[in-house]
Amino acid sequence: MMNSRAKIISIFVIAAFAILLLRLFHIQVLDDSYKRAAQNNVLRKEVQHPPRGEVYDRNGELLVRSIASYDLMAIPRDVGEFDTLALARIAGITPEKLKSELNKASRYSRRRPSVIVKQMSLEAKLLFDEGDFAGFYTVYRTMRSYPRKMAGNLLGYISEADAATIERDDYYQKGDYRGMSGIERTYEEVLRGEKGMKMSVVDVHGIEKGPYMDGAADLQAIPGTAIVTSLDARLQALGEQLMTGKVGSIIAIEPSTGEILVMVSSPGYDPDELVGRDRGNNYMKLLANPRRPLFNRGVMSRYPPGSTFKLVNGLIALQEGVITPGQRYPCHNGYTIGRGVKCHSHYSPVNLRQAVQMSCNTYFCYAFRATLDNNRYDGPKQALDVWNEYVESFGFGRSLDSDLAGELSGVVPTRETYDRIYRGSWNSLTVISLSIGQGELGCTPLQMANLAATLANRGYYYTPHIVKRIDGRDSIDSRFYERHRTKVDSRHFDLIVKGMYDAVHVDGGTGRNAYVPGLDICGKTGTAQNPHGQDHSTFLCFAPMDDPKIAVSVYVENGGFGGSIAAPIAGLIVEQYLTDTLSRPELVRQVTNTTLSYPYYDRQQ
Amino acid sequence: MTRSGIDWGSVAIFLALMALGWLNIYAAVFDDSAQAGFSMNSRYGSQLVWMGISLLAAVVIMLIDEIYYHILAYPSYLLMLLVLLGTLFIGTEVNGARSWLRLGGFSVQPAEFAKFTTALALARYMSSYSFSMADWRSRLYASLLLAAPMGIILLQNDAGSAVVFASFLIVFFREGFNPWVYVALGMVVFLFVFSFLWTPAALLAAVIVICTVMEGVMNGNWKQKLRYLAAVTLAALTIYLTATLLTHGNAGFYGCLLAAAGLSLVGVGIYAWRAKLRNVLVCIGMFAGSVAFTQTVDVVFSHMQLHQQKRILNLLGVESDLQYWGYNVNQSKIAIGSGGFFGKGYLRGTQTKYDFVPEQSTDFIFCTVGEEWGFAGSALVLGLFCWLILRLIRMGERQQEPFGRVYCYGVASIILFHVLVNVGMTIGLMPVIGIPLPLFSYGGSSLFAFTLLFFVAVKLDSRHKESDDHRNAPR
Repeated sequence: MMNSRAKIISIFVIAAFAILLLRLFHIQVLDDSYKRAAQNNVLRKEVQHPPRGEVYDRNGELLVRSIASYDLMAIPRDVGEFDTLALARIAGITPEKLKSELNKASRYSRRRPSVIVKQMSLEAKLLFDEGDFAGFYTVYRTMRSYPRKMAGNLLGYISEADAATIERDDYYQKGDYRGMSGIERTYEEVLRGEKGMKMSVVDVHGIEKGPYMDGAADLQAIPGTAIVTSLDARLQALGEQLMTGKVGSIIAIEPSTGEILVMVSSPGYDPDELVGRDRGNNYMKLLANPRRPLFNRGVMSRYPPGSTFKLVNGLIALQEGVITPGQRYPCHNGYTIGRGVKCHSHYSPVNLRQAVQMSCNTYFCYAFRATLDNNRYDGPKQALDVWNEYVESFGFGRSLDSDLAGELSGVVPTRETYDRIYRGSWNSLTVISLSIGQGELGCTPLQMANLAATLANRGYYYTPHIVKRIDGRDSIDSRFYERHRTKVDSRHFDLIVKGMYDAVHVDGGTGRNAYVPGLDICGKTGTAQNPHGQDHSTFLCFAPMDDPKIAVSVYVENGGFGGSIAAPIAGLIVEQYLTDTLSRPELVRQVTNTTLSYPYYDRQQ
Repeated sequence: MTRSGIDWGSVAIFLALMALGWLNIYAAVFDDSAQAGFSMNSRYGSQLVWMGISLLAAVVIMLIDEIYYHILAYPSYLLMLLVLLGTLFIGTEVNGARSWLRLGGFSVQPAEFAKFTTALALARYMSSYSFSMADWRSRLYASLLLAAPMGIILLQNDAGSAVVFASFLIVFFREGFNPWVYVALGMVVFLFVFSFLWTPAALLAAVIVICTVMEGVMNGNWKQKLRYLAAVTLAALTIYLTATLLTHGNAGFYGCLLAAAGLSLVGVGIYAWRAKLRNVLVCIGMFAGSVAFTQTVDVVFSHMQLHQQKRILNLLGVESDLQYWGYNVNQSKIAIGSGGFFGKGYLRGTQTKYDFVPEQSTDFIFCTVGEEWGFAGSALVLGLFCWLILRLIRMGERQQEPFGRVYCYGVASIILFHVLVNVGMTIGLMPVIGIPLPLFSYGGSSLFAFTLLFFVAVKLDSRHKESDDHRNAPR
């Protein structure tokens, strides 16, 4: 009945609508990409930055805290006429800088917020709130503050994560802070907390229209966890004071736990300098300082240990049975075989205890040669392998695996080292400098302090560490509870310890300057030759002798004889720690005022 | 004589669409942060006023005797031409088109009403005794009736409204226009689109296949068609190989294929003459025309305006510029595509609420439907439109006089064209052409014009329905 063309038209109509419906079904039901695109259009994710965790000393004193800071933001499109001078004054920048930052922001986007000034103080923020600056607003961030203004290179600093870090680690985004050195770096994951996310809905102009899903999808920021360090702030302050005008390091360890009580690296810096608006300038200044204040010498520098290393050699010789406690060696101002090793004048002959007391080079040359030429072994090369095992068991020549950022491993020469240097042809006489801690040896001050702790413990140590407790956790890393035994039996230590006692307490001892009445400090001096000028002055000690509470290593670059400057510093540290007083203010003043010259560093300027 | 004869079903669909349209304008304008409440000064408010005016007009239309539509067809057509011309000079320019007339407090777009008057005039002319589709003069006059308003609107630089008049080709088809014209038109569209997407050689191959299939549809003998295609392919390859050898690899396949097809035409011509199959010549003509047109696509394209070119390139995916030229369509697709099966819920479309789609209450109103009511709602709206159009076609078919039939077809065609192009554009099936979605897009002129169009059709239909009923009544 219907006209055939009418039928064709009807079919055309139905077909055309069917095509529309198929297409709609495709984009609405089958294809998910439009749903995501719609979400991307309206969702604005705003990161909520948590405050970083605080850092305390062992007595609960606050070393690092987070204080509120505010970034000044601007949405260029909404910025109207405003008092440029007033805002610049509030923000603490020049009006020119303010204008150029605004221009930069509007080149980036007229509608999106940009940071104009970072890290304004709360006071600046309150002033800003009183003013009328349309298009500007502040966002809450935190910044570091250091009430004790100490231990800059130990605590470390934070700065914005760089592009490479952002690329590598999903956690970081542009503008996030990250620990760059020291404790801030080692404990970054504890201190940083968890970022939160606030999700809001925006319209086509980027203007906020309210929370997304009424905030149900938001993530609350979790503040960083506080850390209690093993540092003793008062002791640290004394250490830093005593090191004024000197380059070097003081490390003190509690032998029974491996906790680091003091870690001074001199010169240091006021950590507050690396916070806030002046950070960039100050950082460049510190970086350009040839004495390298940013550098934590305690773990990042390698020194020849000098005579302190004789203790290790003596213990090895005893354990190997190549010397006996009563055996004496003659010394007439030196060891004369081969190229020879000089010694100072003292009575002769000396046994081991006396050799330690007076730091006799000759005695340790005999002892070391006896160790290497031990006929139990197939020549000095194999004997050196054995020696290496002993030395390594004291924590030398490898990283101690502490929790200090940038810890170096130190250097202990091996058979391969000498085969390379002497093309395979060497003997105990060739490497005789090792006997007195010179030659190819390189130790970090931490390793030397660890040696002091090992001696205090008569043969074992705990991995030195700076963390004492992490808030909300029952324990710290298990590696810090592990007792490391040396390969020398503890019975051999007593004799060495007696020698160290004598060094401080008996006339003729090299460490007399460390003597504190009433405290039986046991110590050993070191005077390390080095290519940079005057000998380095070093001293390690522990006290009290029978129940050691503190082990100290002091290393003063170019300080001369070990007993002259390093020993009194160590004595004062021990005295302060054990008696909580300083009985000799005159000595404190004298040490503090001693300024050494460092042509090697200062020439570079 | 008991009932009015009004097709209440169609009227109900029409009113339902109008109501749904208003709900979507409300959603498109709605802003949940504004506490203003309902306001008559807003777009949904003025649309409501226009709906009232339109429905009042509908009642008036139903009261006027249909004879007047015959009588007024030509005068109103001429009057409208004058108004269109006047708009050209005294009209206001909106978006680069001088197509709006300011009358007192409000503006009207005469082009919307020109559709109505043209539909009436065409119905009048094509129902006259002297009219015959077989007569070239009748075809010419009918075409001129279309071309006059279309031309003036083009001069107003309102290309979108002008193309709508092409929908009358459906009416012409119903009234007996040569179907080959439509095949040729289809071919033109096909060539235009695929000249952007395919290499010339591929396009030429497609043209050869299409023309061969067309000939097969007319004359049968499919085996012969296959042999022919194989022969052309073989010839083209032979020429290509020879040419490659002669020119050291510089021969183009397009030229070779064209040469092979051209040579084959000689054979085809002889075959057609011998077999006395004149319609084969149609196919040859189609082929020649297609080849010629392919060459001129670039010329046609370069004469378009920049925004038209960009819209076409973005539609075809030749260019993808989501920030500028392709922004609207991309955001529109995101709005509709993110609706899912049941939509995000009324007044809860994020694309809609937060103004991601420009022109959302006018040309892109379908985004609101798609986003908030999802596939289900879109299908409902499109289903109602389809149903309405099919009912209009049926209305046309049951008219006893050609006048009513031509008119009803005209209305059906215009609505069909608007819906296909508008919805097609929002989902990336059609280029962006700024024409409204009937009864949905915000705008009084459009709403009023569509009400006029539709209710005159209902009125014309009502008398015949009445007489139908009378005839079918038991005697």
